Formats: sequence, C-alpha cells, structure tokens
Amino acid sequence: MKTSLRRELLDHGATVVGFADLRGFLSGEISHLGRAVSIGVDRRLNEDTLSLLVKLEKRAVRFLKARGHRTLAIPPDSDRRKGTFISKLYSLFNHKMAATSAGLGWIGKNGLLINIDHGPRLSLGTVLTDAPIRPDIPMEYGLCGGCILCTEHCPSKAITGAEWSRSAPFVELVRLSACRSHKATKRATDGKPNCGLCINICPYGRKEANADCGMRNAE
Amino acid sequence: MATEEKTKEIKAKLRNAVIQYDEDASKEAAQQALNEGVDANDAIFNGLVSGMEEVGRLFEAQEYFVPEMLMCADALYAGLDILKPHVKQLDLGVKGSVVIGTVEGDVHDIGKNIVKMMFDVAGFTVYDLGRDVPLDKFVQEQMKTDSDLVCLSAMMTTTMTGMKKVIDDLRAKNPNVKIMLGGAPVSQDVADKYGADGYAKDASNALKDAINMVSSLKKLKDEAEAKKKAK
Repeated sequence: MKTSLRRELLDHGATVVGFADLRGFLSGEISHLGRAVSIGVDRRLNEDTLSLLVKLEKRAVRFLKARGHRTLAIPPDSDRRKGTFISKLYSLFNHKMAATSAGLGWIGKNGLLINIDHGPRLSLGTVLTDAPIRPDIPMEYGLCGGCILCTEHCPSKAITGAEWSRSAPFVELVRLSACRSHKATKRATDGKPNCGLCINICPYGRKEANADCGMRNAE
Repeated sequence: MATEEKTKEIKAKLRNAVIQYDEDASKEAAQQALNEGVDANDAIFNGLVSGMEEVGRLFEAQEYFVPEMLMCADALYAGLDILKPHVKQLDLGVKGSVVIGTVEGDVHDIGKNIVKMMFDVAGFTVYDLGRDVPLDKFVQEQMKTDSDLVCLSAMMTTTMTGMKKVIDDLRAKNPNVKIMLGGAPVSQDVADKYGADGYAKDASNALKDAINMVSSLKKLKDEAEAKKKAK
C-alpha cells in the first residue's frame, strides 16, 4: 500500500513523499489519526504549487478512503483557510513536524524544512490517516553543520544560529518578531512583503551550486 | 421532475457525501439534484440532514471523533450552499428566528457553530453574535429581532456564570423567550438553577439535540402539510 501510494503521488507531480508515525505526538482531538503522509512539491510558493498540493492531497485521501481508512487532509496554506469548521483544528498541526518525522528533511537554522536534495524550496502538505502504514526513518538532527550563510545574510538578524534536533524541538531558531517587522518595513517601502533571503542563500539544493548553472545563466 | 428512482439515488449520494465527509461529492450531488429537478427541501432533509443524523449516531458510538464530525459538517454546508437558494420557505407554524452566541470572556465557538448550522438547515433565521459576546448584547439583539429562542454557549466555568445574568435580564424584559444553554461546564442542574428552558451537555450532545430539533421540525412540517391537505 505504501509503495503504490508513494508511486501514485510521485507520478502526479509530488517531488518527495514520506510517511511518518506520529502516535503520541498529536494533540487529543486528532490523536486517532496517528500516521501522516507528508507531501513536498519543489517550486516557489505560488498559486500553482498550492493547487497542485491540494490536488495531491485529494488523491491521497481518495486512495486511503477507498481502502477503508480515515483521513484528514491539512492544506498547505492552512493558516489562511478560514470559515470552515475543520479549519479550527488546523492550528493543532505542524507540516514541518510531520515532514521531519517522515525523514524528508530537518529544520535548518533558518527555521525551514531543509531537504537534502531540494533545500528549503519545498512546499508541504500533509494527510493524516489511521491506516497502519510503515513509517520512514525520521530525521533526528540537522545537517546544517558549520554553515551560517542564512544567519549572516538575514537582513533583520533574526536567525539565532541555534541548531534543531528532535530532542529539543522548542529551541528558538528564528526571532519571529524581528523577521516579521522586517517584512512589514519591506512591504511599506517597496510593496513586496516577501524577503526569502534565507531560502535563496541556502546551499542545499541551490541551482547555482549544481552542474546546470549554465542553463540558468542562459535564461 | 426527476423519477422516483433517480431522486432516491441522488438523496443517497448526498447522504453518503456527508457521512464520508467528501465536500466535492456533496457539491456534485447537490448540483445534480438541481439539474434533475429534485425538490431542494427534500434533498436537504432526506439527503444532507439524514446523513448528519447518521454522523451524530457514529459520533455517539465513538466511531467518529471531532475532526470527522467537523469535516462532515463542512460537507453538509458545501451541499447546502448550492441547494439553499432553491428552498421554498418552510411553513413550520413556528416563528423561526434564534439569537446565538458564546458568552463574554469565552472564545470557544466550535460547538456553537455546529448548533448554528443545524438551525440554518432547519430554515431558522439565525442571528449569530459570534464569540466573546458582551452580556447586554444578547438582550439587545433579542429585543431588536424579536427572536423567540436564545442560545448561550460557554466552555469555561468562569464565563458560565455570565449566563445567569443574561437569563435574568431576558426574563425581565421578555418572559416568553425560550433559552437554551450549551457548553462543557453546563449541566442540567445548572440549566435548571439558572432558569433556562433547554440544555445540551457538550458539543456532541448539542449536535444531537440540534438534530432532534430538526427532526421534530420535520415532524411539524409534515403535520402542517397534512393539515393543509385536510383543508
């Protein structure tokens, strides 16, 4: 079941798919849905990525429901979904936690999920289920090592430089207030709220670092 | 007008869409119902609501939990949004308007919203005051809209005491108004002590009570129709 679901999602546009066992890590309301299918799509955060992720989630939901399992799809932009009943529960859940548990990557110093091949350039969606899927091996530590590119390049000096590990999930990696105030200033000056330097600078999965840099220059 | 068999099939689809918490299927079936000319009232009550009744039963049997129930409610709303504009005004013989809200200091409104949904379905005009509603607002709104049912919700013992004040004020202004309480700390004793007319034990029972209410409304509707025929 696991292999065919992974195959199906990858065939329809998913970049990475992982499975996690989250029993004991979920809050009470959703604790009966102890397994997670974590789906990552490698693209910039735009409408296409979101709609593709939603489609993939629906596909996973159909797949699991057809086999008699329960599902709860958490949309990639769960914080912006309002007005439905189930959206009240979205805040109980964290996509990155599911993704690290599914071994898709670790939490980098910039507070983002870092995948070893795609870096911090994945958009995540998760489908919770009660299907007894065998989980993938979770990530326990970050692989950022001595790299401090994002720490140095952060314009608001928001990145503390602390390292994530599964045993210390609540260490402050990014001073969110500093990051947010920088974004607000940026929005006020040039109208674009996004900063994204810590994404662009990350050497993991960066296109320039790979052999295809010639292609990028040609563009 | 659709054939009886087709109508039955569509209603079963609506029912299953709600039970299976499938929003897309619910929308699709609702659209199909309109295309085939199925009566919207029939589709809502014998399709969507009948599905929600089953969900209530599954919830009570601890077969379904909170997330499933919420998703079922979303699926019901998805279908309802499509069907509602085509509903002919129900002749229930009761004035269907209700004021509902979570009392001051309390921001927990999931249960309240589910109860509100059932009133919506039943064709009541719902004046939803939202959450953390100042106590005077209930009385004001009731006077303004002349509703005959007021529903109060609270999730904490600290905010629950506010209900007593609302009930006293309402009774002083309008002795005929019906008052229903709901929320985790509320019990039948509390409801009696505060002088409320109705009570729902928690979110699941609020749902069940709301369903019972809709069911009894259905009965009222049937009776009203039977009377009309007799005339």
